[in-house]
Amino acid sequence: MRGSKGSAVAAPLWAIAAMAAVVGTVTAFGVGPDPRAPGSEATPEAARQEQILRGRQLVLEHGCGGCHGGWDNPGAEGFLAGVTSPAQEFLIGPCAWEPGAEPCFRTRPRNLTPHPTTGMGRFSERQIFNSLRYGLRPGETADVEITSSTPGEGNFPMFPKYLAPPMPWAAWRHMPDEDLWAIAAYLKDGLKPVDNLVEDSEGPPDFWVSNYTEEAYGTYPLPPFPTANEQEPPASANREQVLRGRHLVVQHGCGDCHGGLTNPAAPAFLAGVTAPVQVFPVGPCLVDPEAPCFMMRPRNLTPHSTTGIGRWTDRQLFNALRHGLRPAGYPDRVITADNHPDNPDLLAPGMVWVEKRHMSDDDLWAIIAYLRHGLKPVENEVEESDRPAEGWGGTYVDLGVGTYPAVPFPTANEVGG
Amino acid sequence: MVIRVALALALFALVPVPEAPSAWPASAPPASAADSLVAPPILPNRSREPRTVEVTLTATASTVELVPGVRSDAFVYNGRVPGPTLEVREGDRLIIHVRNELPEETTVHWHGLHLPWQADGSPFYPIAPGEQADFDFVLPEGSAGTYWYHPHPHHRTAFQVAKGLYGALIVRAAHDPLPAMTEKLLILSDNRFLPDGSIQIPDAGSLEARIDFENGREGDVLFVNGQVMPTVHIRSGEVQRWRIVNASAARVYRLAIPGHELLHVGSDGGLFGQALPVDEIVVSASERVEVLVRGTGDPGTRVALQTLPYDRYIPQTRPPDWDEPRDLVTLEYTGDPAVRPVEIPKVIRPIEPLDSDEVTVTRVMSLTQGFINGRTMDMGRVDEVATLGTTEIWQIENLVGMDHPFHLHGFSFQVIDRNGVPEPFPKWEDTVNVPKHETVRFIVKFEDYPGKWMYHCHILDHENFGMMGVLEVRKP
Ligand code: HEC
Ligand code: HEC
Ligand SMILES: [Cu+2]
Repeated sequence: MRGSKGSAVAAPLWAIAAMAAVVGTVTAFGVGPDPRAPGSEATPEAARQEQILRGRQLVLEHGCGGCHGGWDNPGAEGFLAGVTSPAQEFLIGPCAWEPGAEPCFRTRPRNLTPHPTTGMGRFSERQIFNSLRYGLRPGETADVEITSSTPGEGNFPMFPKYLAPPMPWAAWRHMPDEDLWAIAAYLKDGLKPVDNLVEDSEGPPDFWVSNYTEEAYGTYPLPPFPTANEQEPPASANREQVLRGRHLVVQHGCGDCHGGLTNPAAPAFLAGVTAPVQVFPVGPCLVDPEAPCFMMRPRNLTPHSTTGIGRWTDRQLFNALRHGLRPAGYPDRVITADNHPDNPDLLAPGMVWVEKRHMSDDDLWAIIAYLRHGLKPVENEVEESDRPAEGWGGTYVDLGVGTYPAVPFPTANEVGG
Repeated sequence: MVIRVALALALFALVPVPEAPSAWPASAPPASAADSLVAPPILPNRSREPRTVEVTLTATASTVELVPGVRSDAFVYNGRVPGPTLEVREGDRLIIHVRNELPEETTVHWHGLHLPWQADGSPFYPIAPGEQADFDFVLPEGSAGTYWYHPHPHHRTAFQVAKGLYGALIVRAAHDPLPAMTEKLLILSDNRFLPDGSIQIPDAGSLEARIDFENGREGDVLFVNGQVMPTVHIRSGEVQRWRIVNASAARVYRLAIPGHELLHVGSDGGLFGQALPVDEIVVSASERVEVLVRGTGDPGTRVALQTLPYDRYIPQTRPPDWDEPRDLVTLEYTGDPAVRPVEIPKVIRPIEPLDSDEVTVTRVMSLTQGFINGRTMDMGRVDEVATLGTTEIWQIENLVGMDHPFHLHGFSFQVIDRNGVPEPFPKWEDTVNVPKHETVRFIVKFEDYPGKWMYHCHILDHENFGMMGVLEVRKP
């Protein structure tokens, strides 16, 4: 899953589709920790500023702009301003891969800028926090501290209204409290308001209650390590790093594409494509059914030695996540400005490395440690994704995915500094 | 009887219509045929005192015929649905004894009236089963208009209204500025029934209850004065004055009579300064309108008063048939030759705009699904405090993709703009529909009566849930 590109991008208008398998009953997740903002009024200005910058960093890493507008470029027009073109909308339900099939819901990433009537200006930071931790639609959920996950108790609504897919809140909820507060702070005080009223998403009358099952999306907090898919790391590995990597993998939603969603206990967690619904198209066909498509096949991330990442070194994986370099195509070497390939063979835009590259070195190494040492190998050969003969380089330029490192704060879309 | 009249009319239809205006009678006598639309009876006045109306209203549980042919367990005022009509004049003292013979607590709210807060029938003054409450207040000069009454117990309003508790209350002017003409009262409501006739209310927690909560409960059977598709007669050329009350829990009516331009002459708080010619009128839950229906059709023809599709819904729970127009009333032209329409005065009832220079406070009410300013109703909390005698602007912002009709108790207000577009002329309202994602501002003066007043969404399911707040008006 991930957003199609915004109207700011020139032709060819390519869009990246949401791959969304929508199935199935009431989700109850664990009680969240005390969601009180660490950075409200009482906090000195400098601390607030730091919180806002942290929020920006998280927004980039998690690729909020991939759906909400502007990709990972805080300088892009319409950055986080929500849907401005139909190409940014998602079709959820069987119609996503079979035109005309029912049910079919059109969902629309909303305006995250602090505009007072069309954006986050309407909501308190606590409402934004609750939307990211519990998936509750801020416009339809009271501005209260939630202390339970049982409907009707501890301010958890009797009839929860969840954010429509593909909004990856089931991943975002695993971020620590302070990260969620930091995102809320950035959205409220780090961005300039943009007046863009996004039409409501469609959805089933239960507001997706039956979609977000614990079985599919896992529990909050995470189930104890190791699940049946996982294994204790060898003594040679850093267990703490592996566990941190596990948390990052979930909160970044790697399983949304690579299998198992946000549930480390789900069958085939991170084992790559095991069902046809995991294959999703990228390319001009998303806006023009006659145009060509490139089918994306998220790969096997378990450490299997011949079908998974067991084939690659840690450095190759690091280069894949930081630089988008296809591990099969590049040897194990440190990439610097001098030896960065000229016309690199990049991973497809279906793989959201342009977001993940903004993660810190530590975080990337932790993810790699988890994939390598925390997961049991699963044998699952995944067919290569389609790619254009000339590679993906040009597409990234067209998409306007932003630079690494990101443009300095504040851009024309931002306030503060 | 009705059938015979209809047959007679069918014959009349063959009679050619005189075309020359000179042949028209000078004034418009009422239509000569009997309507099947029946107005609820007017409650008889028991008082012998001048300018005093004293009545008793009894709420009971009863089995009555709501849809023809089946009996339903209902709640009734004085034995019927809708309840009897209260008719009074401005300046009258109104004494109402309300007897609660229901198996549960109730209140009766006199929707739209300006009165002491203890008499408002708000949730603060519940009437226990078996108890009687006595209301005694004076209707101020200038309050002539169409109002209504309904229960208002906290969390139970939607249920009790669905069971049948609602009725009209008409305040007449000493000197009505409109010429005498045939007047009709149309109380619009809707309901749902099981095959055995019982009023269908879904089990709490069911998907249907869920949908009712979002949309507000709508019924597939549309009633006018408790009747399904009644007939109103009109004579060609005649002008009739219709007072229309939306007593539905949630349904918004977009009223139109195909081929007929309507003259919109009044709102919640009575007549306008001037008539507004319109093709359709949107009446949200609890609103009232006064309309002049002009018999511009030919003798012997018939049309229907319709409600046209109106998309007030969020996409998740929008009913599949929302976009189908529904007929409400048959408007049947008598065979009588056309009469000359009465003259409608250019100026009907001049309304002074409230003075915006006097505004001391602007309050923002942001509406989301079920919440006002992010909160639900707490009887022990005062949400807003205002000073008696002051003028305020209330800015009602609807932050979600569904309409919410906003009602303020006790004080009528004047809408000043909708989404920044100024209202063309001042008029009195007590409920204003705030369409999805729009902002409405109104100006209100807190005169005469201190106390605790409710403001809430008049989609009854939302109100039940607690989409309501308390305004305390305090003496300076
Ligand atoms: C894969 C696409 C996608 C990504 C990535 C994404 N969102 Fe969303 N988001 C959506 C969609 C779709 C909606 C609308 C949901 C609805 O209407 O119920 C939404 C809604 C929201 C809302 C609710 C706004 C409102 O007005 O109701 C918030 C807050 C939000 N997203 C924050 C974020 C943040 C913060 C990130 C990054 C950490 C993010 N989103 C990443 C798709 C996405
Ligand atoms: C939006 C879907 C999506 C998400 C989310 C996603 N990936 Fe991928 N990933 C893909 C696709 C598609 C490919 C194959 C790309 C190609 O073949 O060019 C891929 C390829 C990869 C590869 C290359 C593997 C190989 O054997 O070549 C790695 C490593 C990887 N992803 C890791 C991750 C990690 C770690 C995360 C979470 C931080 C993640 N991915 C999140 C879709 C996704
Ligand atoms: Cu409402």
